[in-house]
Amino acid sequence: MKKRTAFAAFRWLLWLWLAAVIVGAFAYAPLAAKFIGQSSRILFFHVPMAWAAFIAFIAAGVSSLRYLFGNRPRRDPRHDRAARAAIELGLLFGLLATVTGAVWSRIMWGAWWNWDPRQTSIVMALIFNGAYLALRDAVEDAEKRARLAAAYAALGLVVTPFFFFVVPRITFSLHPEPVINASGQVDMNPRMLQVLLASGAGFTALFFWLHDLRTRVLAVADQALEAAAAGAPRAGIVGAWGSAPPHITEPGTAADPATASQRTSN
Amino acid sequence: MFAKEWRSELRTRYALNTLALFAVNTLVVVSASLGPLGAAPGRSSETLPVLLWLILLFAAAAGLPRAFVHEEETQTATALRLAATPSALFCGKLAYALTLLAALEALVAPLFLAVMNLDVARPGLLAATLAAGGFGLAAGSTLVAAIIAQARGKGTLFAVLSFPVLLPLLLLAVELTRGAFAGGGSQGQGGQGGAGVVLMQLLLYDGAVTTAGLMLFPVVWNP
Repeated sequence: MKKRTAFAAFRWLLWLWLAAVIVGAFAYAPLAAKFIGQSSRILFFHVPMAWAAFIAFIAAGVSSLRYLFGNRPRRDPRHDRAARAAIELGLLFGLLATVTGAVWSRIMWGAWWNWDPRQTSIVMALIFNGAYLALRDAVEDAEKRARLAAAYAALGLVVTPFFFFVVPRITFSLHPEPVINASGQVDMNPRMLQVLLASGAGFTALFFWLHDLRTRVLAVADQALEAAAAGAPRAGIVGAWGSAPPHITEPGTAADPATASQRTSN
Repeated sequence: MFAKEWRSELRTRYALNTLALFAVNTLVVVSASLGPLGAAPGRSSETLPVLLWLILLFAAAAGLPRAFVHEEETQTATALRLAATPSALFCGKLAYALTLLAALEALVAPLFLAVMNLDVARPGLLAATLAAGGFGLAAGSTLVAAIIAQARGKGTLFAVLSFPVLLPLLLLAVELTRGAFAGGGSQGQGGQGGAGVVLMQLLLYDGAVTTAGLMLFPVVWNP
């Protein structure tokens, strides 16, 4: 019960924090110089979204490596679910970052799209995430699916640095770089920076919260599938909590060998 | 492993013929539709490298996935799992893909240059780019081929999966080929030390993908 209270507190804190970021973005931070109209305010959401997509990408790669090479000889499906949840969220945040970026680009550069290196890399990330999910859909067997998808995500982790460090250097970029620039200095109004960092922290927490939710939903789905295969319909609800809450575990279910084995396997 | 690949390939000549015909077909379509424009000076050295690499990419996508798909289809994969260590197998398949691509490039590149009326300012750079690009293409596709061979919808899936992995390779290779056609440094931002640096990055990509392939292949291959 203590854990759930902590979760609820965290959730409320996160809502308040993000609400404060929104207020701060419009009322506290000044407008940036040389930006048309109010367009610079999108920065406080666009950059953290891209950041969250980046974290998602790294998280998926790390989870995949842990799935493949950790826990030998028996692989832990938890890491596979974590990787999949991260990829899905990466797709979501990546799309949001792309759309907000395109809107801003239309205002500032006059075109929705111009193959800026960062646009190239986010599109590659989106395609990669889509390809990962397509690969998962194309494999029937759960263990094989997890293994192949994890290998693919790990390959993606190897290729990513080329998008972040190499490709931007061979093509011309219009992207404003006050934060991520070559000289390593932050060139930004302090108030704007405060809101941006707060927003970045908020989005990071939002990502991990959503990731936790999604991983648990996937765990329930997996349990339900296994239970359906084993013919024990109750087991799905039990497994989702890691350890069974007392009010759900009924005497009959716990004695059922199929249910018991699933709980230990999780 | 390498010898076995070629022996079975020479028995059917499936991949070789498909690849060559596919590449030549694409080349004809590209060249015929560009017409005299293809030979127009000025913009041609900007756009033609893209076409060259697209031809190579699609030809590779048409022929290379077969390396593993064939093993699964004829159910020889299990025998292979018993007979060879994964790393030997990966190296063999990689060498096979590499020679196949080298043959393809040896066919396509001169034809391309002849049909497009291109003068190569730096032939050495072009050769190096083709070699390094071909290597990366082979390494990336071999691992992806191993992944998709165990899935459904193999052909389309290969294109979908390999594209984001091979995209940096293509961008780098196109940039280098541009430099080779046009002469002078690379046209990127500030030159960045010219073609040598880009070539190094391309080689770095090759190394990274090959290492990843060697590490990941055993887990892809063995259940």
